[in-house]
Amino acid sequence: MTFAERMLRIDRRIIFLVIGLCTLIPLLYPVGLAIKISPEVRSVYDYIESLPEGSVFLLSLDFDPASKPELYPQAVALLHHAFKKNLRVIGMTLWLPGTGMASEVVTRVARVEGKVNGKDFVFLGWSPGGSSVIINMGQDLYKAFPTDYNNQPTKDLDVLKDVQSLRDVTYVISLAAGSTGIETWYVFGKDKYKFELGGGCTGVIAPGLYPLLRSGQINGLIGGLRGAAEYEVLIGKKGRAVAGMDAQSATHFAIILLVILCNTFYLLIRTPRDKAAPGQH
Amino acid sequence: MTLLRRQLPLLITFITGILFAAQYYVPHPSSELMLTSVSKWLQIIGGFALILGVTSLFHIHAVKIRRKEPGWGYSFILYISMLGTIVIGLWHGGKETVDGVATAFGWIYSYMMVPLQGTMFAILAFFIASAAYRSFRARSREAAVLLIAAVIVMMGRVPLGEYLIPVSGDISQWILNVLNASVRRAILIGISLGAVALSLKIIFGVERAYLGGGKE
Repeated sequence: MTFAERMLRIDRRIIFLVIGLCTLIPLLYPVGLAIKISPEVRSVYDYIESLPEGSVFLLSLDFDPASKPELYPQAVALLHHAFKKNLRVIGMTLWLPGTGMASEVVTRVARVEGKVNGKDFVFLGWSPGGSSVIINMGQDLYKAFPTDYNNQPTKDLDVLKDVQSLRDVTYVISLAAGSTGIETWYVFGKDKYKFELGGGCTGVIAPGLYPLLRSGQINGLIGGLRGAAEYEVLIGKKGRAVAGMDAQSATHFAIILLVILCNTFYLLIRTPRDKAAPGQH
Repeated sequence: MTLLRRQLPLLITFITGILFAAQYYVPHPSSELMLTSVSKWLQIIGGFALILGVTSLFHIHAVKIRRKEPGWGYSFILYISMLGTIVIGLWHGGKETVDGVATAFGWIYSYMMVPLQGTMFAILAFFIASAAYRSFRARSREAAVLLIAAVIVMMGRVPLGEYLIPVSGDISQWILNVLNASVRRAILIGISLGAVALSLKIIFGVERAYLGGGKE
């Protein structure tokens, strides 16, 4: 067995160790490289900046704890921004396993910003039905959510004054980890009830949402931890996302290096027959 | 029997299909009221689907435990965890916190479910790296193009890549915004046309798989 063949059969635990170290070391010793702001993240920021005080901002936290590392920092940054701008914030989720986490992040950031539940913000919780919930909210918000997550009747809340349905919401952002997320909000919500829609998502589903962005179906997109880090830079409140970017840089480069190495070894062991018929593998 | 099993469902599907396809274009209050009512029904049905899902899960794992199939121990753990969570959740009225203090249900959520799900997702990074090393090879011209595009996007999406090769960010943006978006859009249009065709087939009773596999 040649050296190249041995390297191609390397114990995968060595790769795991490399990735582990590439994640751990930058977290312990951060470098803090500059983060460039992408146009799609800036669009979300600029739109929220342009909203007048008291505008209704709905944040749908459509993810479960599995996607917390990427989407939780996005939620924190967006909520800080919305509360700083004195927007009326409505929190909710279309993902049942994410309800507790969504409630925690909305109330925690609101407390930090000195906002009052029921007056400045409300967390509606989760309701079954996915897309049906959006249609129901578009028809009558109080029928979709007669009470909020704390069992307070939604009709009595100051934060929802003059809000009858999704038609009265100025801006909706869905932070999504998969289906029942941004696309659902567009198809069943924005298209019919005519509010502006933005999105935030995990890095893995971001490429699939670029067609919506390019066509103006969503006005901005915060993609993955990188998007969250960009938003933290924009609001001047560096948090977990910025802290995680060095680790992400290191792991990306480790994977790139591994791919280059494996291709180098692969080219070295290719037989003349392989070269003649590259598509046969 | 045929009337109840075949003709009536087909008739309901046909009428509701036509009605709600037309409803979208009719902004009359009575049309909107109808949509409001039906969306509420759908939410209620969604709630029942949850019960159906849980019941089905219980049934599948009960069979595995009874037959002592390979991995039945995991099914047993699932049973205990699920029953325990349901009982504790009902005991606390589904609340994770009461007056700012975490309940037992909240403790299960915050200190078991959140870290477990996070761990499951996090270990993907290790498996992706290992899989990339083993299988991401330039075996053909197409694979080589994919490989180069992937490397550029991976570089352009992190600050270190943009620091070392400043143009990588712009090229990555161009790949995502132009090449990726156009191909994705073509796929989306194809899927949407397929969905429209399938919807029409269901409405007009050509596609009947949703009625079940029984003979007429």
